[in-house]
Amino acid sequence: MDRSLQVVMMYILTHLGLIFFLYPANIIESTDQGHWIPISLGIIIHIAFVLLYLKGLSFFPGRNIITIYSSFGKVYLILFLLPVFLYFISAAIIIVRAYSEILTIIFLANTPLWALMALLLFIPLFLSIQGVQAIFRTGILVSFLFLPFLLFVLIVSFQNVDVSYLYPIWNNDFSFITKQSYINSFFAISGGFLFLGFVQPEISFQRKKIVIAFAAVIPAFILSVYIPLLTFGKATAETFVFPFVLALDTIALSWIMFDRATVFFLLSLITFIMLFITLVLWKASIIIHHSFPSIKTGYIVAALTIVIYIACLLIPNWQQVQMLFKWNSVLRFYVLFTVPLSICFLGHLSKKKVY
Amino acid sequence: MLKKIILFSVLPFLIFPLSGCWDNRDINHRVMPISIGVSKMDEGYKVFLQIPEPAPDRLGTRIVTGEGETINQIIDNISVNMESAVDLLHVKVIVVDKRLAEEGLNDLISGFIRSRDVSAKAVIAICDDDIDQFFQSMENSEGQEGTILLDYFEKYSGWDPHIALSRVWEVYRSSHSYTRDVAIPMLKRGQTTFLEIVGSAVIKNGKLVEVISSDETLLYNAFKNKSTRGKIEVLDQASVMVISNDTDYKTEFTDQTPSLQTTFNFSVMILETNGNPSAQEIKKNLEELLLDRYKALVVKLKTSEADILGIGQHFRKEIPRKDLKNWRSDYYPNLEFNPIIHVDIQNYGNLKHTAN
Amino acid sequence: MNSLIKEIKDSIGENDDLLFTEQQLKDLSVVLFGLNSLIDLGPTIKQLEQLGQKNYSNKEKQKQISQLGEIKRNAGEITSLLLDGKLMIAPSPNADFVVSVDPVPVKLNRAIDQITNENTMLGPFVSFNEDSLTNIGVMRKHVVSEKIRVKHFLTGTHNKKELSLIYYEGIVEENLLQTVLKDIKRNSINDLHSIQDVTKMLGITPYSIVPRVKTTEMPSEAAQSLLNGKVILFLDGLPFALILPSVFADMFFLESDKNLTYPLMVSLRSLRIAGTLIALIFPGLYVALVAVNPEVLRLELALSIAQSREGVPYPAFIEIIIMLVVLELIMEASVRLPKSIGPTITMVGGIILGQAAVEAQLVSNLLVIVLAATTIANSTVVGVQNLLSIRLLKYIVLIFSSVFGVLGILAGVFFICAYLAGVSSLGVPYLNFKQSKGDGSHG
Repeated sequence: MDRSLQVVMMYILTHLGLIFFLYPANIIESTDQGHWIPISLGIIIHIAFVLLYLKGLSFFPGRNIITIYSSFGKVYLILFLLPVFLYFISAAIIIVRAYSEILTIIFLANTPLWALMALLLFIPLFLSIQGVQAIFRTGILVSFLFLPFLLFVLIVSFQNVDVSYLYPIWNNDFSFITKQSYINSFFAISGGFLFLGFVQPEISFQRKKIVIAFAAVIPAFILSVYIPLLTFGKATAETFVFPFVLALDTIALSWIMFDRATVFFLLSLITFIMLFITLVLWKASIIIHHSFPSIKTGYIVAALTIVIYIACLLIPNWQQVQMLFKWNSVLRFYVLFTVPLSICFLGHLSKKKVY
Repeated sequence: MLKKIILFSVLPFLIFPLSGCWDNRDINHRVMPISIGVSKMDEGYKVFLQIPEPAPDRLGTRIVTGEGETINQIIDNISVNMESAVDLLHVKVIVVDKRLAEEGLNDLISGFIRSRDVSAKAVIAICDDDIDQFFQSMENSEGQEGTILLDYFEKYSGWDPHIALSRVWEVYRSSHSYTRDVAIPMLKRGQTTFLEIVGSAVIKNGKLVEVISSDETLLYNAFKNKSTRGKIEVLDQASVMVISNDTDYKTEFTDQTPSLQTTFNFSVMILETNGNPSAQEIKKNLEELLLDRYKALVVKLKTSEADILGIGQHFRKEIPRKDLKNWRSDYYPNLEFNPIIHVDIQNYGNLKHTAN
Repeated sequence: MNSLIKEIKDSIGENDDLLFTEQQLKDLSVVLFGLNSLIDLGPTIKQLEQLGQKNYSNKEKQKQISQLGEIKRNAGEITSLLLDGKLMIAPSPNADFVVSVDPVPVKLNRAIDQITNENTMLGPFVSFNEDSLTNIGVMRKHVVSEKIRVKHFLTGTHNKKELSLIYYEGIVEENLLQTVLKDIKRNSINDLHSIQDVTKMLGITPYSIVPRVKTTEMPSEAAQSLLNGKVILFLDGLPFALILPSVFADMFFLESDKNLTYPLMVSLRSLRIAGTLIALIFPGLYVALVAVNPEVLRLELALSIAQSREGVPYPAFIEIIIMLVVLELIMEASVRLPKSIGPTITMVGGIILGQAAVEAQLVSNLLVIVLAATTIANSTVVGVQNLLSIRLLKYIVLIFSSVFGVLGILAGVFFICAYLAGVSSLGVPYLNFKQSKGDGSHG
């Protein structure tokens, strides 16, 4: 049965969750003017690799990348799947830690970190145990509940925009490519799409429909950077850790019964992040389950959660989180480049074998 | 089975609310000041908190003060000494004294932005008076609502186009921006009303550099395309009320000299006439009056090199970013400013206008 | 040779309502037996006498009797038929067979009545009753089609009950039907008393917060479910249809909505969805705003809430829990109490909640408004079972929000979404977005 809608929604939700917090600051820091250049470069890379990945997967209808790799032998399994697994674990640790820190910085100053991290892990644990179909159904339900609100906040966020900040448009300086902050921005670009290769055969989807998801995610990439830029200007926006959050803070809506209505927006993004963590936990658990089929996935997820929670507790401060972002970038790029390429390559290989 | 275990592990969460959690204090155990006053001492600051006191059938006011090295330290001290904890989350108005404004607001403002306690939407104002007495009188004045300062600035209650409304985030932006400064209202205690507007303080890079009158503030608001509706202008022959206004800009940049042509369109309504002036006369006189005021305002601003009108914004296209940094000193003083004021008499009220 | 009747007597002879009499039908003497609590004897005998009017020879008469009904020789079968209200005719006290006849039954069932627990504005008012055959008849009136299939199962060991299954051939979800049939056949020895027993029989977990079986007393609802590919069970003695499986949409969508025009139907349904959300979120929102995140409130509201909470001796969470419990008690009490004292409880409860508690400064008056809104909103949900689920689920949001504030509300809602997404019964997920067809998942 075709579940394209569920896949598209999941794709949109997880990316929205990833984009709005850390990505804007990374991009704004990476260059002085013409921010659309790094953004579009990121988007192009993103689209290119997603399409490549989907192309590769289309050679193996109804199979996920675990079975694909293992059908080509142990070497592939270790070469590609192990880094993917490590990437998932490290991404989960970083996200749980970073987002709980974000929550304490911008919202819940009194709540202890361990409780926030427990929340950010407990609900994903509960959900991922119920299996992939439950995860995707949750995605649909959550998007019905929260997306309209998100759309509304994105529209009102233009309240304080000054278009003159768009200029200067062009920038000859491409040095941003090597900047760490730009490399960190790929956390939002590379992290979210790997699930497309894991969901088959339980959830089948049409490749064409993923293009719809691009249509929603690309504006998010652009708006998340440009709304703070146009509200504050580059010189001010670069002083913020979470520019988009502050841009939302400036919105005054006198006709809503809540004073800081935009917190609902931020917090619904947090639920999207929970969905993302759920996916990561689930993906990591089926990789392990493939290697050790005797262990039930439920117990694997529980064990992974405990490992991640302990790892998060061991990270003392925001500085360390930034460090982890840096270390993680190696894995991030390895996964971003090798997985789609290798799947595509193997696809061509297996096609030749047939003829 | 595991699902069941997980479900039951929700139960420990019950312990949190029952054991009183962490610092979650109920709303009635928090002291929520509406406005905060900051004045500079020789060493450190003095802070005034205006706290609404629920009294039967109205909201009274209580003023609490404290002194110390930093704002947060003072707040903390006050918290310790008060029966409930002070929570700055609902501060809507920040009043600073003139001395602090002259020395610079940057530290104060970035402190507010950093902690995110005080809303970025809080209004900032300068007290051109003894801030001690300013706040004391708020406590003493009988029949004052506790939210007086807030109401004064609220768009839907007390705000008037004479007042330059600036939020904390705008002041913060101006202190970092290359091309934009900000005007904040200056207040003092009034004779019969509680507050009296003095004019607006021009803040450049967080420091007070110039004061403009409230008439000039009106033009500032008109330039920013804020509505000046309801403002009454008095001429020799008549007084008129502004019904609507809008502003168009045309920029030119030749030989490193920026020039800006601004067209202001005011629609007015005639309220009173003195004698029997023709519509043309009223129109001409009003245009002249506003034009002179504009020119005076721009001259004043140019000398202080403060771009509260945000003119530099319009030249971001032409001036490269590294030169833009010096907009205020290199380009702004040479700005050619050509305002064109166009007044349209929209109607004459209930009476026919017979003169011509 | 008298073992057959003796055997029957041995098994149920201790019942005083067991009728065992020799009767002269004209010139033929027969033995009649049955349960006189189920059989209206007088008219039945009259009916039998009409049959035996002609003068037959003895042998012919015996033949004639055997043509009255089915011949039964198995004692166990006969017993269960007796319990079902059949009359047995034996040609002689020691015959080796009896004939089972449909007698004139005692009227044990109420007539088809108006619906009582579910209300509808537009739509048929007929309701199901306790007799499953009547219910099936009512269903056949609603869906007139040769594709309707009815299957009867006799279930139970100690307590024989008839379970009827109805489905619409061709539309019904084939997997679903097969699973249900298989489960019923496998567990047909289970005694069925309640819906819990039925769900156990079908292998559905009884530990579920949301209803796994939709119950309705409205035949129009049941009829539409048939057309949506679901199956219906009737258990003798339960005055409603059990519709399998129950899905999320049942919480908001009522078939009688379709008697309205499209915009009205859509707005009515969105109203129910909004009501559900309000019922889930409002108590949590109150705690979150009062105790954890007061900065989200507007200043004016914050001040008035602070003012109204002045003097309330306990934290917001405890405050709301106390009031919620009182409220739940009132609701439960008004169901339990006879209709004549019900209004008293409502009035006393209203005064306690509405006025006295606020004036005594035990709770803030905003809380009373919140609770009233919650209760009203909660009642917009379709179906009694769903109403109870929402009533319970709101506590999850409440607990989360008392810890994490506004984040807790969203996390709580997310958690509930996750829970609902994980529920699936008989291979059909609870969150089945395409209403007609499931997808055979095993979530």
